[in-house]
Amino acid sequence: MKVKVVTRILEANERIALENRRLFDNAGLYVINLMSGPGAGKTSVLEKTLALKTGLRIGVIEGDIAGSDDAERIEKHGAPVIQINTGGACHLDANMIYEVLQDLPLQDLDLLFIENVGNLVCPAEFKVGEDIKVMVLSIAEGHDKPLKYPLMFQESSALLLNKIDLAPYLDVDMNKIKKDALSLNPDLKIFEVSCKTGEGLSAWTDWLKEKALRS
Amino acid sequence: MHELSIAQNVLDIVSEQCTRSGHTKIDSVNLRIGRASGIMPDALIFAFNAIKPDSIARDALLNIEEVPVTGLCNDCASSFIVQEEYILNCPVCKGSSFQITSGRELDIIDMEVS
Repeated sequence: MKVKVVTRILEANERIALENRRLFDNAGLYVINLMSGPGAGKTSVLEKTLALKTGLRIGVIEGDIAGSDDAERIEKHGAPVIQINTGGACHLDANMIYEVLQDLPLQDLDLLFIENVGNLVCPAEFKVGEDIKVMVLSIAEGHDKPLKYPLMFQESSALLLNKIDLAPYLDVDMNKIKKDALSLNPDLKIFEVSCKTGEGLSAWTDWLKEKALRS
Repeated sequence: MHELSIAQNVLDIVSEQCTRSGHTKIDSVNLRIGRASGIMPDALIFAFNAIKPDSIARDALLNIEEVPVTGLCNDCASSFIVQEEYILNCPVCKGSSFQITSGRELDIIDMEVS
């Protein structure tokens, strides 16, 4: 016999994402899902953001397939941090976040970064309960990335174009990256930054403060 | 890339519904998958077949209906259908401001049980 099911396969994930969102809202917490390919500089962006003393109380959830290097780097800046190892999964999902929330002092934070697994494909597909998605692209990855991985750019509210200090050594067309990214997402806010020299980072933290404090 | 975890979700959902309706065996499962959902149907079928042997869906066939990507352009008001997985521009006026109206589905429709 035929049985109607009519269930959205990702419904369970979305239900938990909504529950996470409720917990974040209750704590007055602004949450950013930080995404990029491996090595673009997500953890460096977080280290620099913490070092710039924004006045925001920032917590971090680190997602990686294995290892705790990133959490150790963040811990040195005195921020509450939890490491999640996905053991192979290419992205964080809402339940992985829900499971660790009791280990973070949500009420004492203004801003929570969820550093997703380094991957330009899957992280954009799964809601975790965030307010916005932000992505990092290093210019060393090449100017073809927006058109090759459009969903990441379409889903993000801001793009940090990192490692601009390398521009003299690379055959990369930064204007093409910006033009293609904006054609995919006209509302995308783009910051050109270098975590090595510190260039451009204060514009990013100013924007961040405005977002987090307005929530 | 994440077809295995999607396949596990499908198996969990249909197994629970099958048991709840008092049946013991799933013969087939019908899904509707949008072309812009980020899921490859062949990889999903492969993953489902790999994890089903120890379940009440061990003999189940997974049938997938693919849904094309359709959109509505905010600039020229055209409705359009494309065969691509991702759309970069409105195919009529090339504008970049549009809404996807279908193509991101990831739904279980029904199943045959006995």
